[in-house]
Amino acid sequence: MADVATPRRRPRRRTAEGGRRLHSAGSAVVVSLGGLFIAMLLNAPGLHKSATIQPQGWKRDAALAVTGPLESVSGALLLDRPRRAIKAVLGRSEDDEIDTTVVVAPAPDEPAVDDTPAVPPKREKFSPKRKLRLWIAGDSLVVVPGESLLRAAAESRAIASVGKIDGRIATGLERPDVFNWFTHIREEMRSKKPGAVVLLFGGNDDHGFMTGLPEGKEIGSFGSQSWQAEYRRRVAGIMDTIARSGAFVVWIGLPISRDAAQTQRYDTINAIVQQEAAKRPGRAAYLDTYFFFAGEDGGFAEYIADDTGRLVKMRAEDGVHFERPAGDLIAEKVLEQLEERYDLTSWRKSS
Amino acid sequence: MLFPTATFSIFFMVVLALSWLLMPRGERWRPFMILASFVFYAGWDWRFCFLLAFSVVWNQVFAIALHSRGEERTRKLLLAGALTGNLGLLAYFKYYDFFVTSTNNLFAFVGVDVPLEARSIILPVGISFFTFMGIAYVVDVYRRDFEPVGFGTFAAYLSFFPHLVAGPIVRPGELIPQFSSPRDPRYVDTSRAFFLIGTGLFMKVVVANYLAANIVDEVFGAPNQHSSLEVLVGIYAYAVQIYADFFGYTNMAIGIALLLGFTFPQNFDAPYSATSITDFWRRWHMTLSRWLRDYLYIPLGGNRGSSLFTYRNLMLTMLIGGLWHGAGWTFIAWGGIHGTALVAERWWRGRPGFVERPWTTGRRAWHRFVTFQVVCIAWIFFRSDSFADAWDVIVRLFTAWGEPSPLVTGGVLAAIAVGIGSQYVPRRLPLAIMARFSRLPVPAQAAVLSLALLVTHAMGPEGVAPFIYFQF
Repeated sequence: MADVATPRRRPRRRTAEGGRRLHSAGSAVVVSLGGLFIAMLLNAPGLHKSATIQPQGWKRDAALAVTGPLESVSGALLLDRPRRAIKAVLGRSEDDEIDTTVVVAPAPDEPAVDDTPAVPPKREKFSPKRKLRLWIAGDSLVVVPGESLLRAAAESRAIASVGKIDGRIATGLERPDVFNWFTHIREEMRSKKPGAVVLLFGGNDDHGFMTGLPEGKEIGSFGSQSWQAEYRRRVAGIMDTIARSGAFVVWIGLPISRDAAQTQRYDTINAIVQQEAAKRPGRAAYLDTYFFFAGEDGGFAEYIADDTGRLVKMRAEDGVHFERPAGDLIAEKVLEQLEERYDLTSWRKSS
Repeated sequence: MLFPTATFSIFFMVVLALSWLLMPRGERWRPFMILASFVFYAGWDWRFCFLLAFSVVWNQVFAIALHSRGEERTRKLLLAGALTGNLGLLAYFKYYDFFVTSTNNLFAFVGVDVPLEARSIILPVGISFFTFMGIAYVVDVYRRDFEPVGFGTFAAYLSFFPHLVAGPIVRPGELIPQFSSPRDPRYVDTSRAFFLIGTGLFMKVVVANYLAANIVDEVFGAPNQHSSLEVLVGIYAYAVQIYADFFGYTNMAIGIALLLGFTFPQNFDAPYSATSITDFWRRWHMTLSRWLRDYLYIPLGGNRGSSLFTYRNLMLTMLIGGLWHGAGWTFIAWGGIHGTALVAERWWRGRPGFVERPWTTGRRAWHRFVTFQVVCIAWIFFRSDSFADAWDVIVRLFTAWGEPSPLVTGGVLAAIAVGIGSQYVPRRLPLAIMARFSRLPVPAQAAVLSLALLVTHAMGPEGVAPFIYFQF
């Protein structure tokens, strides 16, 4: 009998701790790719929203070109249902919705608010027994001054926050698709009924890409007349929404930033807000922050010397956001604005 | 480029496939991985790629010089030069403004004007991590524990993107030998890799972000607006948040490296189950603890002297460890609290006649509880921007009991419970899950992975919050 060669055996599977099998690199690539692809289908509504709210540019275009069809396929195969179910259980069904409706009050060339009194209203009194209800909202820039304001408010004892600081990263008035402040402010004014509102917007609005435009309307680049007119309409609309609820708004202006070109763009936004606030005495006030944070040469300064000569870090490393001492300074000025409009201290004398 | 983003996913899929294709040919794999890592790093700020390149060249030049010299005096001088370069980078980019403001404010206190100006220097992401790895390389070569490797291998080691921006701090002896020979493409620990990536994503995207947004930022932002209960839960929540954030990042880093065929050391071992601060530091950021022990504590003299000498070394190590985390006095205070606790434990155990009692369930639970409270007190300083802010938190902790606590919700308590509970999961459970996963056919593995990504993505907030340790 002829010798029969021993049949070649596959190498034994190698295992690691706990008896788990080791797999080939090809398997790692296939599982990763397959897992990611199925996950993209399952998460398609969220991915499409993430693509939509990106800054304008080729990355957004490319992302939309991929996630748009992906969302259609996911919807057709009902693969978006599990995600919607999880969102519903968490009470966050609206997370994946893209709402670009900009509902604002009449255009600024019309009377802003019919019932706006010609003279500022009387200073209303507040005390620890009857506190002024305060709501703080805006983009990420509002968070640090908002925290300072809440601390100062707690010390004043005549002001109560109606809730958390509503500071939303990467949002603004240009892009309701990222976050619709117009709808949100209306709802919050209705549900929380604040007496005073502190806003800071514009940190992400210094470019020309605006969504939520009226049907058929087109606007020019950032700072153009048409851009300014639309931005003005939005700012005025928010001020009027707040005024109609009987509240007073303090709108914090954008600070000087490390980037000189950005500072110039911020100036454009600040000018619009300042002009609109000036049209609404007793209903809105604008707080100019530019010179709080300019250095001795008038330019950007991350550190500023205080009255005692101590160097204080005012601005974050990104050259835009605030540090705590800057927040405290803004809070102090906002409180002064609120004091002008409301009587927040006379209770101390009577108590 | 953050790990839990679509951009990174695309980047990684390309790198994963190409890395395995090029793996058999090291001369091609190394330049490819260096390029991939620099592309990854350029995602933050391309200008800092020059800094990373400088660190590679500086450490390699000194390592080769150290290896080729015999006389001890020259070698010491060379080591001092290498360390000066590394620490100089850190000093300039991380501590310059801190030094200037501290000096200025100290002199302003006594009425003297110091002509030093802060420079608003941008901190390059990951500088503390790759600088420490560079120091480890030259010191190991100086000690003759390690021989310098080729430029390409060292560059691949220092810039390897899975550990580049927030660790773990991988020692030369742990990773460079893996770069010296091709990884075997037949045996990749994929189930562990996917498990680590999945759990890491969940801890970061769901647990850490949820706690940050729903209680931690609120409480530490304006403590006097919140009740004592909210402040207490907020402190515990921060303890869980920072653990979930850093543990999550590390898990992802280790899992990503595993898929590429490389093994990183463990960085966490259930730190909140520690029974003492000494035990805590064996379990928390383990790669940093080992680095501090081997490259700082032992060179300072370690415990090779009197008790007081050992206490001094412990304290110095922890103070410097605190400063490593951030250029601020609150970080130094954080290190000081841990250093004091370590000294106190060492003194307690070193008393004449001290006998370690056997552990009982109750005694172990009590020690764990007390240790966790000390760790949490230290976290207050770590999280606060200033001593005044930390003091506000501490005062509020005792002065507002009985006030409404709307931030203490079921969701917040559940997230804290997940974070703390994860410390007590029996070791056999994840092993069993990984073993079960590894036996699934490939399509089923992909399906399980996609379900994990679905849950994490759906439960997480919109957008991606940066990792806490990126700022260090």
